[in-house]
Amino acid sequence: MARHHLINGVQVPFTAAEEAARDAEELAWTNGAFDRAIADVRAKRDRLIAQTDYLALSDNTLTDAMTTYRQALRDITNGVTTVEQCNSITWPTKP
Amino acid sequence: MGLISNGTTIFDNGSMASGFGGSLNFISKQTASSSASISFTSGIDSTYKEYLFYFVNIHPATDSADFFFNLSTDSGSTYNVTKTSTFFGAYNDESGTSNTLGYFSAEDLAQSTSDQKLFNDLGNGNDETLSGSLHLFNPSSTTFVKHFISNIHGYNGGNFAINSFIAGYGNTTSSIDAVKFVMSSGNIDSGDILLYGIA
Repeated sequence: MARHHLINGVQVPFTAAEEAARDAEELAWTNGAFDRAIADVRAKRDRLIAQTDYLALSDNTLTDAMTTYRQALRDITNGVTTVEQCNSITWPTKP
Repeated sequence: MGLISNGTTIFDNGSMASGFGGSLNFISKQTASSSASISFTSGIDSTYKEYLFYFVNIHPATDSADFFFNLSTDSGSTYNVTKTSTFFGAYNDESGTSNTLGYFSAEDLAQSTSDQKLFNDLGNGNDETLSGSLHLFNPSSTTFVKHFISNIHGYNGGNFAINSFIAGYGNTTSSIDAVKFVMSSGNIDSGDILLYGIA
């Protein structure tokens, strides 16, 4: 179905050039699904690690449980190669 | 000694409106209907120093698509104003086990003409939408950059509640006279965008 812009309440059909450009954008979006998914995983991992960084300062000794938790976060992307795997990751529980 | 004596009238009926009060003035509303983009190319001028877009139940056709906007200085012929921005947000999943407040460095812009992301990974389930607002300040100024601030809550495709806070500036001293909204993929299936001027 032909696409349209909605401009001030009026539907304006895409030109052929706009259709082709949007088709290319849609293809790039589809092809980039894994890159987006793994980026989200890495961002979440980084935030979770950062939340416990204060426990890893030089004047504090990490518990074994916290060491294991932080290592599990660092390894969270190991072997993850598909979007489905990204979406089904089991995140470690913070001690 | 007292500052206010018994019986002193501080504000009488109507004095707030004439002395201090502003008003929210409706300009236009657009309702998406499988629309690839929604653009406002009229009503944004020097009439008001602040313009406010309300998003009500914006629903994407494609799951986990992102919601963007951009600015125009040529009445909508092109949407490519240079922008620098910040993006942070909070999220919580439906089980309450995954939640955080964080800065999302991948979503901000640094002197980029690209579209500015306003929401990440919007779900397209029948009941999944986003709602929120975008403020655009003094768009007709030919002296200053153009500040914008957005706050949106949406139902993320991964079943998260996400509250996004975006702020930045269009780095131009040309007048902004049009604004466009678009999804990263697919159409805006449904939803309303309302434009108000704040006096």
